[in-house]
Amino acid sequence: MSAEPSLDLTVKASLDNLQEIRSYIDQAGASLGISESALGDLRLVVDEAVTNVVIHGYGDVEGNVEIRMEASGSSVIVRIRDNAETFNPDQPGAPQLNTPLKDRPFGGMGIFLIRKMTDEAEFLPLPGGGNELRLVKHGAIQNGG
Amino acid sequence: MTTLNITVEQAQGRVPVTVLRIEGDIDAASHKTLQDKAAEVINAGSTHILLDLAGVKYMGSAGFRAIHAIANMLADDPSPGLEKYKNLKLLSPTDAVAKVIKTLGFDIYLDIQQDRESAVNSF
Repeated sequence: MSAEPSLDLTVKASLDNLQEIRSYIDQAGASLGISESALGDLRLVVDEAVTNVVIHGYGDVEGNVEIRMEASGSSVIVRIRDNAETFNPDQPGAPQLNTPLKDRPFGGMGIFLIRKMTDEAEFLPLPGGGNELRLVKHGAIQNGG
Repeated sequence: MTTLNITVEQAQGRVPVTVLRIEGDIDAASHKTLQDKAAEVINAGSTHILLDLAGVKYMGSAGFRAIHAIANMLADDPSPGLEKYKNLKLLSPTDAVAKVIKTLGFDIYLDIQQDRESAVNSF
């Protein structure tokens, strides 16, 4: 039985690397056979997740972010690991969609999008410190499984 | 590094409209570029802004922070009802961007136009 394909990227956690990370998602997604629609969602959720790691996780501290993308049948699993302070995803609430725009608090849009555009989004503290965000999107791979 | 190119164009409808033609990705690294350009044209006297998004392949939540900030700069306030903004409109978002706009519920507030001439005349 052959192992499911997977692809990794480790970069400095910096907003300057968001473009490179989105390119990695595109390339990894293409080699795993992910549909264009699912790829658009993954590009967004990974960008939002890494933005949160940079701004809310590391803050002024330097660190890396590691992204691993793998196929599991027709699903895709993305793991985003960092070495930052433990993250509590329940802190920011969902955006208040019916509140006038000018009165809306702007925290939490990223987490909302992450949960909305994936089938599973699990925030796990790592035993040695840091966090892993595990994202699963079902039916993302054409002809998979 | 994310680069964003913004071209400023003036159009005349019933009122003068400033069109910001945006090319590139709008993410947490580049959204300030859009916000700063909008501040620049508003300080120079623009009162109605059309954001042409046809050249934007990617926009994350940071883009919406910028849109929110621009609406505030234009003192464009549709509350207390859920009316759309009158002084800030969007033109031709790509499918990916339109999906995020809808998912975040911004379509309630933002008038999204598909044709530039109609968009300019809709202000």
